[in-house]
Amino acid sequence: MLQKSFNVLVCVLAVALLLPVSAKADFPERDITLVVPWSAGGGTDTLARTLVKNAKKYFGVNVNVVNRVGGTGVIGMNSVAKAKPDGYTVGVITFNLSTYRLLGQSDLSYRDFSLIALLNRSQACLSVQSKSEFKTLKEMVDYAKKNPGVVTVGHSGPAGAWHLAAAAIAQKHNLKFTFVPFDGAAPTRTALVGGHISVAATGMDEVLQFYQTKQVRILAANSPTRHPSFPDVPTMAEAGFPTENPIFDWRGLGAPKDTPPEIMKVLREGFKKAAEDPDYIALMDKLGLPRVYLDHQEFEGFLAGMEKSLEPTLEMVGLLKK
Amino acid sequence: MIDLLLLFKGFGTVLSGYNGVALLLGSFFGIIIGAIPGLTATMGIALLVPFTFGMTPITGIVMLLGIYTGAIYGGGIASILIKTPGTPAAMATTYDGYPMAQKGLAGKAIGIATISSGVGGTFTAVCLAFFAPILANFALRFSAPEYFALAVFGLSVTITLSGRSPVKGFISGTLGLLVAMVGLDPMGGFQRFTFGRSELTGGLSFVPMLIGLFALSEGFRQVEIIFSAPKVNVVIRNILPRLSDLKSCLSAYIRACPIGLIVGITPAIGADTSAFVSYAETKRSSKHPEKFGTGVPEGVAAAQCGENASTGGDVLPMITLGIPGDAATAVLMGALTIHNLQPGPMLFKNQPEVVHEIFAGMILANITFVVLGLIFARFFAQVINLDRKYLTPVIFICCMVGSYAINNVFYDLVTCVVCGFIGYLMIRYDFPVAPMVLAQILGGMMESNFRRALVMSRGDPLIFLTRPITVTILVLATVTTIVAVRRQLQALRQAEAAAMAENVD
Repeated sequence: MLQKSFNVLVCVLAVALLLPVSAKADFPERDITLVVPWSAGGGTDTLARTLVKNAKKYFGVNVNVVNRVGGTGVIGMNSVAKAKPDGYTVGVITFNLSTYRLLGQSDLSYRDFSLIALLNRSQACLSVQSKSEFKTLKEMVDYAKKNPGVVTVGHSGPAGAWHLAAAAIAQKHNLKFTFVPFDGAAPTRTALVGGHISVAATGMDEVLQFYQTKQVRILAANSPTRHPSFPDVPTMAEAGFPTENPIFDWRGLGAPKDTPPEIMKVLREGFKKAAEDPDYIALMDKLGLPRVYLDHQEFEGFLAGMEKSLEPTLEMVGLLKK
Repeated sequence: MIDLLLLFKGFGTVLSGYNGVALLLGSFFGIIIGAIPGLTATMGIALLVPFTFGMTPITGIVMLLGIYTGAIYGGGIASILIKTPGTPAAMATTYDGYPMAQKGLAGKAIGIATISSGVGGTFTAVCLAFFAPILANFALRFSAPEYFALAVFGLSVTITLSGRSPVKGFISGTLGLLVAMVGLDPMGGFQRFTFGRSELTGGLSFVPMLIGLFALSEGFRQVEIIFSAPKVNVVIRNILPRLSDLKSCLSAYIRACPIGLIVGITPAIGADTSAFVSYAETKRSSKHPEKFGTGVPEGVAAAQCGENASTGGDVLPMITLGIPGDAATAVLMGALTIHNLQPGPMLFKNQPEVVHEIFAGMILANITFVVLGLIFARFFAQVINLDRKYLTPVIFICCMVGSYAINNVFYDLVTCVVCGFIGYLMIRYDFPVAPMVLAQILGGMMESNFRRALVMSRGDPLIFLTRPITVTILVLATVTTIVAVRRQLQALRQAEAAAMAENVD
């Protein structure tokens, strides 16, 4: 009897010891969880769900999206950073990750992740109502220089990508705007079209429809190159006001820090293929979200540069926590 | 204005082939999702969006509209039967729905709730179809000062929701405003009352807080009487309300329909606020306000009608301007986008037939849940006959699952339990819970728009007195408050006089 239970015990122990080894060999054996730190139905969520729609083709298993929402993204991203590094929990990481440490919200940063890839990098733009007296960026800047604080610039939330992108422009060209924060892009846009603010700083994709219906005029795109969906909109440099290292909004993928390299390889290859899926490409283009693909090393370089340009901007708007 | 031919074509499309089946299925699931505490309309849509990937756009959208309207209605069923709102929007239904069920009128209460939701929903769906472009332009004239005034108006009705003691209602409301301040400052981005916890930077999670205050607290209270309460054994009949019952609800409909429409169109507030305001307004203007809360059909009618009347209003700015009216329509907007229908001004121009199919789908979805609701009410209502010894633990489980499921975050369970305890103490010492919740919903909107308006006017407070819409709403809020306070004082005096008379005897 005792002998029998001992045998069973040995078998169980042997299996238990073998399991991690075999898991590494044939990763993935079961479904992977993709944590989205923002709520269901939003832009990041839509991107994630479309990305993994055909995941079975690329991983052999499904990738299931779980929304873990709260604390302006800290909770979801932190749960990925602290998850078991076995490759079965990965997460979407977004712009806010670049600001937590600088704002004193959390110690979490990109250093707590094994990066997979950067998938989207959106530029800001400055737009005005089509009835506005400002026909070009130069006219707006000239007016703002003569009348400091009179031009109201709406943006989609304090310390968000668009607020900081606009603040960086103001700092660089020595302008004084009155910033009006809104709760998201939609109300910012409505306030612009309704004539309640003079300028809106938003993501370029977010004003696509209003640009097509000619309800807004976009003064400049805050990036080194023109946006393919907006061929006639000049860049900041073309409009006469070059801005180095513009602040971008970004979305990418990361896994817990100590995930074994062979598993990271499977994840990186699988998600690279998923990012080339025609359904995903079609949706991203439809939304006007610029697709990029930076591998983990380029992604790391991008994030390091991002923190460098964010620090002085946050200091200027008085949000930097030292 | 509307193209009637296109609308009729839309009805044809929605009813033909798989679309009709999808609508029926969506509505059925919607009612069930709504009736389960913790599963909201927003989640129902989000969960089922992936299932619509394989469908044609209109089939998928019709199904999602069925879920949306069905879930908003279904929340009331749980409110009536177990005093636990199935969705946040159904809080106001507990006031008169639950007492009605306790009186053995569960069937009638569900019947009235169903018809009232249908009336409100159909009203705004028709408004949506006929006036969408006109009303959308009206929404553009609203800015920070107007939103601030609307929030003030919303808060002014809390006095009517305060029950017997206005002072306790005021305390409860202030507590709600205080809770609304937790998290990131909406204008500056600074952290407030977060005590260094990153879980609190986004503010207290609303749904867990709500489930705690309304449902878990009720669970705690029921534990007190779990063995002593008499077993209920009610025969469910008379689901279909009599015409005379509906006649008495007419005054509720007249108020709730337009309130729902306006609240719906306003971004950031939705069915929950609409139901509260409709209930409070109907109570205030009623000939017998003191009976509200004891199980009057008008109370159920006002809450349910207001709740569903906001759906059309919420969809309206989403379709026409790409501004979702509340969380549920934000998810709906995401779903439309996935189906290659980007809501906004371009949709009207490029795909008018799809827009009219959506309108037709919205109207039909409201009729579908009424039919389903009336058929299945008999089965739902059986819940009331369950033994409390089994029902109460189930309520606890629902509270926990619901609080966790919304964000998949453990901290939300802590929020739920703490709020449950606070809610229990509030019920125990006769503090009304509703003002706290309403103040929490409206507090953030009031603060951020007040400050935003002042930034826009560069510090000049006259901005609140020089804009016609703002002034009108603020005057309305003042009048409502004065009338409500006078009424409360009168009631108080009468009660005192009665007490004096008793003492003399």
